[in-house]
Amino acid sequence: MNLKTRKLAELDRVIHEPGRLMIVALLSAVEQADFLYLQHETEMNKGTLSSHLSKLEEAGYIEVTKTYRGKIPQTLLRLTVEGRQAFQQYRRRLKEAL
Amino acid sequence: MDQLKSLLRRPKFYNNIDGVGELGIGFALLSFALVGWLLSRGPENSLGYHLHWFQLWCLLMLLAIPYGSKAIKKRITYPRTGFVAYRKRFPFWVALIYGIGAGTLLRVGGEFFERSHGEITRPHWGITTPAALGGLLFAACYAYGYARTVRWKRAVAGVLAIGTVAIAMLSADALGVLARDSWGHSEFLYRCGVVWFLFLMLYGTVLLISGGVSFALYLLHTQPAAETAE
Repeated sequence: MNLKTRKLAELDRVIHEPGRLMIVALLSAVEQADFLYLQHETEMNKGTLSSHLSKLEEAGYIEVTKTYRGKIPQTLLRLTVEGRQAFQQYRRRLKEAL
Repeated sequence: MDQLKSLLRRPKFYNNIDGVGELGIGFALLSFALVGWLLSRGPENSLGYHLHWFQLWCLLMLLAIPYGSKAIKKRITYPRTGFVAYRKRFPFWVALIYGIGAGTLLRVGGEFFERSHGEITRPHWGITTPAALGGLLFAACYAYGYARTVRWKRAVAGVLAIGTVAIAMLSADALGVLARDSWGHSEFLYRCGVVWFLFLMLYGTVLLISGGVSFALYLLHTQPAAETAE
């Protein structure tokens, strides 16, 4: 196994999945965003998006806050410090591997 | 990697998805043009004659535009396509201090320029060349900031560039006619003021139209999300 292949194998699997990569990339550029924004930008359905968000939350990469906008429920999402570091490391490794 | 970079840029472009950014800038530029026009033509004993009103207007704009944009986002954009809070580079009061500082510098610089160069006769291209360069820079910034993701906005950037060149090509006589009734200390400054006014009018009008079209298209293609749990 050469060095580049090894670098590819070391990529964070939680972030490497295309759907989750989109979510993490979008959240990394903002302070926080809501579920509706992620749904609009990623064009995923609610179920798929929720499933990806649960996996990211389990990994400790995102923080989920349930709140209300008036009477409408709102789910706010932000990257945690660990999530931001993991994404930066992922980008670095991907760059090295390519 | 390129796809990842484009994803990272998307939240920045989302800020103008509804055209509110352009509407705000267009409104500010048009209002500055109007106030500038009134200031340059107001009778000496009128309120409009004093530059303090211009500074007060700048301060009001500095407050009205962010709060107006925020209100539109809160009531229209967030319920339709979602809420985003951007990472703050510096707090609002720092921006306010920068704004006041820049306004004061501009005024001091303008007065210094007027006193030191007002009576010197300068060639016509001394106005048109820097104005054209400044205008083309503005059009390039617009193309980079707004027109990269929305294809039809490239035409808007083109209109800004062509308009800039057209204003820069106006003859000294044409500017002189427009500047005839304004006050100032020299013919050169009259014409500088007219070029400044024409640019503000052009950019303000084009951005207001472009922002208005974006806003109408946004309303047409989106609708408030259903009130269900996420």
